[in-house]
Amino acid sequence: MEIAHEIEETAREIGARVRPQIENAKRRISSMNEQVTDYIKENPGKCVLGAIALGFVIGKIARR
Amino acid sequence: MDSREQPAPDRPAGEGGAREMGERLDQAGHSAEHAWSRTRERFTDVRDTVDLRGRVERNPYGTLAAALGVGYVLGGGLFTPLTGRIVGLGLRIGLRLAVLPLLTDEIATIAESLRDGATGRRREAAPGDTESDKPT
Repeated sequence: MEIAHEIEETAREIGARVRPQIENAKRRISSMNEQVTDYIKENPGKCVLGAIALGFVIGKIARR
Repeated sequence: MDSREQPAPDRPAGEGGAREMGERLDQAGHSAEHAWSRTRERFTDVRDTVDLRGRVERNPYGTLAAALGVGYVLGGGLFTPLTGRIVGLGLRIGLRLAVLPLLTDEIATIAESLRDGATGRRREAAPGDTESDKPT
């Protein structure tokens, strides 16, 4: 009973310590996604051409 | 279109040639203008059909992935081992995703029938009858 209580306590502590970090990472990823999406929407031609060029290079490398 | 056409005898050769040249230039200018306007129209049509901005607006990552795929195919990567591996991986993941729910359903049904069978046997057994509990 004592051990179970200790384990529960430790799990709660770890959860409390990790949760803010997870939240922070989630926020950063979300912000990054927004920035990338905005950039793509602002420069569609450039991004599409870049993607085609990148795909072309990958295709060339795969063909070797 | 015949450049060897002879000038009319009642007018000087230089004047007729210049006029003809001017007409031809005028015609060429009109043709070029017409071709340019038609090209512009076609370009506008293609742009409206592709609707790149709208596509990017609706699904930016999907559009980029499609562009990457187009580039990959243009680069000659279609019939390569890498494509085979990517397709194989996709098929495997897809099959797993499609088959897993069916399998879990089947296993749940089997487990349920086994449990029901065991409960039924226990009910059938008399309280004092220990032999009936033994598996046959």
